[in-house]
Amino acid sequence: MLGARAAALRPGYGFVLSRAVGPFGAFLALAFVMQLVVVPWAGPFYEKLLMDIGINCLLAVSLNLVNGFTGQFSIGHAGFMAVGGYVAGAVTYYGSFVLWGSPAVHGGFLGGGDLLFLAGCLVGGLFSAGAGYLVGLPSLRLRGDYLAIVTLGFGEILRVLLQQTNDVIFVPAQIEAATPWQMATALGGALGFSGIPFYTTVFWVFVMLGLLLIVAFRLKESSEGRAFLSIRENEIAAEAMGIDTTRYKVRAFVLAAFFAGIAGALFAHETGTTLNPRELGFQKSFDIVIMVVLGGMGSISGALVAAVLLTVLPEFLREFADWRLVIYALSLIIMMRFRPQGLFGIREIWELWRKPPGASPAGRGAS
Amino acid sequence: MTAPILDVRAISIAFGGLKAVTDFSLSLPAGALQGLIGPNGAGKTTVFNLLTGVYRPQTGEIHLDGRRVDGLKPNRIAAAGLARTFQNIRLFGDLTVLDNVRVACHVRAETGLAAAIFRTRAHYGEEAAIRERALSLLEIFGLSHRAGEYARNLPYGDQRRLEIARALATGPKVLLLDEPAAGMNPQEKRALADLIALVRRQFGLTVLLIEHDMGLVMNICEAITVIDHGVTIARGTPAEVQADPAVIEAYLGAPDEPPPASAPAPAPDSAKADP
Repeated sequence: MLGARAAALRPGYGFVLSRAVGPFGAFLALAFVMQLVVVPWAGPFYEKLLMDIGINCLLAVSLNLVNGFTGQFSIGHAGFMAVGGYVAGAVTYYGSFVLWGSPAVHGGFLGGGDLLFLAGCLVGGLFSAGAGYLVGLPSLRLRGDYLAIVTLGFGEILRVLLQQTNDVIFVPAQIEAATPWQMATALGGALGFSGIPFYTTVFWVFVMLGLLLIVAFRLKESSEGRAFLSIRENEIAAEAMGIDTTRYKVRAFVLAAFFAGIAGALFAHETGTTLNPRELGFQKSFDIVIMVVLGGMGSISGALVAAVLLTVLPEFLREFADWRLVIYALSLIIMMRFRPQGLFGIREIWELWRKPPGASPAGRGAS
Repeated sequence: MTAPILDVRAISIAFGGLKAVTDFSLSLPAGALQGLIGPNGAGKTTVFNLLTGVYRPQTGEIHLDGRRVDGLKPNRIAAAGLARTFQNIRLFGDLTVLDNVRVACHVRAETGLAAAIFRTRAHYGEEAAIRERALSLLEIFGLSHRAGEYARNLPYGDQRRLEIARALATGPKVLLLDEPAAGMNPQEKRALADLIALVRRQFGLTVLLIEHDMGLVMNICEAITVIDHGVTIARGTPAEVQADPAVIEAYLGAPDEPPPASAPAPAPDSAKADP
């Protein structure tokens, strides 16, 4: 019944093409402008800050798919970031050795090195998505706090495992002799994975962020996405209306883990960062949760604003670095007191200034 | 005589030692409008939860339109064509009225996640069809003007009607209504009775109704099943059921003589009759 009507209501190809492809073009253009205009004008300090902002936005918006859209409570997001970062780092570091004999940045924009880096991001994202599936499938039968504990445990187990890996191999002859398994377990241990080439640029960060934003907004405005939201609203009713809640929870988990993996890959290849198990522990997970809670669970733009705020503020409050956690805790307590739903609640920023979507003039508030 | 669209054969469930529902059977012919009544705690909602897969029956079988559905998950049963409303309203409060209905249309959607992300032509067609279907349902239920409001902000009667509209959006063959008139005033109840009759005709539905309002049940139901303590105690037309001594006893307690040894129940019942 829906099928025949859906076929009759299909719009023209021109409309579909412009709507489907347009946003990709817009974000690509934005990424170019950022890289070619903003970065040279702003200088290296702000270049690094822009990359940090973009990566944190990726993390917050992707976690929002789980915590905000489907209402599950995951606090192990840094674990997925670590999976993506380490996998991508291994791909580019050891891949560069195998291909070009050294781990230095190879080729220019979209040169061989960039392509290897993109492949690393993709593989890292896929591994992370696989981890999301493995963690998600058994644990999504759990609710609330119990799920939170499992995700926290996943992150911590991963951190300990990474600390047990061998030292990075940096002698070309040894790398030539090493088996793939030896390379995959030589990730630097507790000292961190150093020597990963710095391929991450503002351009790539914003390209990936653009992709995630397109996915997130398109989900929110589609039948698939409403299935996610219905689980947050009332799981029993969602099930009774034919929504396969387990399947959609796993989907949210896998999608979120994929983009967290990409964020980790970008982080691993960023100038001035060392991929270190300690950096990607539960403290990082909490930072991401705080961004989502501060922005408002379910609000994509809220997560963006909170991620920008919580990245920029510590940079400019470096003198008070010791007080960072105190300030975080205080701001959360203040918010819980005065605005428990987060800055924007579950709405997007632009929905705050108008009546609820599609409300007719007759819709007088009846609450 | 065609086969019944919903055929329930002797389903039972016990929670620990409590036999909540025992050997419940029901045969709904296509297009029927029947009632399920019983005193508080009789197990009516448990029957609904068994039918919709919230609980799995420990014995018995449920057949929906010739297909066996007991043991399936609730979402599969909804997809097979059994929809319900809830006694304690379970709307998606922070979604708009329109989105509440659109969520329920999703079970009939054919395009998937990839189509939604890449925005294919089929996706746009389906979204338009879903919107059209949802708006037409809201129109029938007189909720069009509230389409953009959040469900939690609706007045109580509107919330009850939105629940029915949402259930209908799943495209059911059989609709289970769990106390749809609870908390409504007499006018609203009359309007609701008309509405149920209307959607039943328009969508060719079969309806099973739990209701405490005897006036409503006796007026609109063709046949009534009465249960008490999970056991079916009477079945028949409204007039037959009203005259049945077992029903009167279940609702009002036994006459003054001591209850038979086999039925120790009436004592606590009459004790709580007037809270």
